[in-house]
Amino acid sequence: MSSLARSVPFSFGRLGIVAGNTFLEAVRQKLFNFLLLLAVALVASAQLFREFNFGSSELKFIADFGFGSMVFFGSTLTIAATAQLFFSEIENRTALTLLAKPIWRTEFIFGKLLGVLAVVGVFCALTTGLLLVLLYNRETALMAANPEAFEAGRLIHYGDLVLMGVLQWLKFGVLAAITLLVASFSNTNLYTVVMGFFMLVICHLQYLARDAYSQVSALPLRLLVQGLSYVFPNFQVFNLADQIGIGQGIDPTVFLRVGAYALTYIAVFGGLAVYSFSQREI
Amino acid sequence: MKFNLARLRPLLTGSLVVAVLAVTGLAVRPLETPAWQWVRAQQPALKLESLQGALGQGLTVGLLGGFRAITADFFWIQTNSVWEDRDLPATQTFIKLVTAIDPRPLYFWLNGSRMIAYDMPNWRIVDAGGYNVVPPATQRRIDEEQATVALRYLQEAFNYHPDAALLHVEVANVYLNRLKDKARAAEAYRRAALRPDGPFYAGRIYGELLRKLGRKAEALAWLKETYANLPKTVDRARGVSAFTVESAMAPLVLERIHELEEELNLADDQRVKP
Amino acid sequence: MTPPLPRPAIAITGLTKDFALNLRGVKLRAVDNLTLAVPEGQVFGLLGPNGSGKSTTIKIILGLLEPTAGECQVFGVPSGRVDSRLNVGYLPEAPYFYRYLSGTELVRFYGRICGVPKARLAERVREVIDWVGLSAAAHRRVGTYSKGMLQRIGLAQALVHDPRLIILDEPTAGVDPVGSAEISELILKLKTQGKTVLITSHLLAQIEDICDRVAILDRGKLILEGAVPDLVGRQDQQALLVDALPPAELAELQGWLAARGHTLNAVEQPRTRLDQLFLSKVARAPKDGGHS
Repeated sequence: MSSLARSVPFSFGRLGIVAGNTFLEAVRQKLFNFLLLLAVALVASAQLFREFNFGSSELKFIADFGFGSMVFFGSTLTIAATAQLFFSEIENRTALTLLAKPIWRTEFIFGKLLGVLAVVGVFCALTTGLLLVLLYNRETALMAANPEAFEAGRLIHYGDLVLMGVLQWLKFGVLAAITLLVASFSNTNLYTVVMGFFMLVICHLQYLARDAYSQVSALPLRLLVQGLSYVFPNFQVFNLADQIGIGQGIDPTVFLRVGAYALTYIAVFGGLAVYSFSQREI
Repeated sequence: MKFNLARLRPLLTGSLVVAVLAVTGLAVRPLETPAWQWVRAQQPALKLESLQGALGQGLTVGLLGGFRAITADFFWIQTNSVWEDRDLPATQTFIKLVTAIDPRPLYFWLNGSRMIAYDMPNWRIVDAGGYNVVPPATQRRIDEEQATVALRYLQEAFNYHPDAALLHVEVANVYLNRLKDKARAAEAYRRAALRPDGPFYAGRIYGELLRKLGRKAEALAWLKETYANLPKTVDRARGVSAFTVESAMAPLVLERIHELEEELNLADDQRVKP
Repeated sequence: MTPPLPRPAIAITGLTKDFALNLRGVKLRAVDNLTLAVPEGQVFGLLGPNGSGKSTTIKIILGLLEPTAGECQVFGVPSGRVDSRLNVGYLPEAPYFYRYLSGTELVRFYGRICGVPKARLAERVREVIDWVGLSAAAHRRVGTYSKGMLQRIGLAQALVHDPRLIILDEPTAGVDPVGSAEISELILKLKTQGKTVLITSHLLAQIEDICDRVAILDRGKLILEGAVPDLVGRQDQQALLVDALPPAELAELQGWLAARGHTLNAVEQPRTRLDQLFLSKVARAPKDGGHS
């Protein structure tokens, strides 16, 4: 009997196996077609701006549209992939087979999360890379065409551009954890996706509650507004350089703080998803 | 008892989630606040009231969601499209909309003011029958009206870019080219020249305008002071490139100084020796 | 009398499971005060019509559901604990595995989750796939498998870590008689290896032949439980199978029996069961074939 009752400690190995399988599913289910779409959109938009003869400001337009599409497609990919990769397990009842194995639900949830993070990470790395190449090539061409605009050297801070890619990835990580929390108690994929987008908007608007609470005089309402500002993470902090790669550079200490902020939220939302999922009857 | 507890379970779970998130929010405030202040400092406040009317709620949310720059870019492209159609009211509206959404790129302000000050008078005169039909006095009035609009617009830009030398240059250009007001143009060029990032040509034009205004002694003093500080040789260690030396045009400034010395009949010992 | 039961692999005591149907507290009792022991080394059938609580009981045994009342132990470990599943292999009803994996990848994945040592993994995966007869289709994506093949790959994943208890939920549902017979054969093989097998079915007759013991559930309650011969055998009668007798000889036999105080209760033409007839007429398809 004692040989049978050996305990099963939490294992990063199993977590990694679940993550790997989740990533593989995303790849084989062709979720990465998103990337292709984005790449085409990026290259096409970069070509479009040449028509307008913006001069050196063309780089700003390319960077804005590149990052704009990355944020838009990335948010969509994150929410859709998280919901899909979670519900494919529930709806196809593969979760039943998997959780009937000696595996912790914590390993399952964090495995899923890590898998999604890997998918979104590849997305961010490739789009940032593509954007860098586009900008660098175009900047080189523009520098040759009108050197006076580039008197002080290159205009784009390529290092900041990479940091922005990392920041977006972290933001998507928090978004994935939030979506997973919703999925852990939700019954349908659609509800999860809708709630995911809803949360995305709320987290972007969280700062409005923060700003408003000092101006509200009625105490109960004030407490409610203040409470709201504490409950939701502030997604605006990830826009450290909204004017991408141009203008003021990113302060490394601020960057590190935002990184810690994101990781804390990923852990907390992931933990809550585990708690909620542990009560779910499969 | 157990039955009641089971019924309350989802509610308890929900409350626990909210409580944990609130505590987390409190705990991460020290991490968030500096980052948020940083972001805040970089983002001029959105004029929500004015924008909501023009754009509707959905778009406002889009702006807040990190799509501010791209939305402004999109409207700038729209601006260019109506500008090609010479649609004055639309162009004017879009120019203001773009900078209301994202006032940070100087590019929008500079190009917007140029459309207002240089292109729109031309459209109005052509619409009124053309340069041969519209009396010169009317043409002059239209030029002045548009220049005033452009100057007001540029004045607003200073709220966001108080240190931008190029804005002063732009103001100076409008005074000089549209209003033919050399004195005010000179003052604006001087301000541009005094900025650390002020272009070398602003200082030269200021000197030249002083000369044309008859303030030759003043012009000479200015050019002499300017000349002393101009980069004359390439110095990579100090970041002085060949391009910088070339655009500083020190020999030209020296030539102007000599001309002024001639005009002022200065004694030999008072003249600048190269 | 049956011999004393070996130590139970599964011990269920006073198990009750309610599902809340709505927020006002209306609930459905899926399992009602069930007490059951599955002895080690036997094939145990959990039978009953649809909705009788079989699957719910199995989910509780696997720790997928929490009981409302009562307890359930697997090899002495409470079923809610992760380590209770160390020695359990499970084939769910109508299994639907990761379509994007090949058969080998799938079994390998579950093997790694179950902690099969890396050094042995490849060999063990090959072994179980071979054992269920899917070697030829092992490299194909699971999405292309027929129902019968899915059941067999499901069995392979349930066995990959060599568990002592195998739980099969409706393993023959939707599978043709050939596939069904093959699965029955595999279950009997497992028994000879000393494994405990818990099998559920709503087709009572189908698994009667392979079970040592059965329990019959209805609306969550245990109706009947015991060894199969005890339950279905009739002690007060016997059947004799003889060649076809002419009427005269039959009358003679009847007289002979009557003289000794016995009664001939029935004279019937023995019939082959249809599934057996089918199996005897159909040439066995190769085991890796795509029949469904």
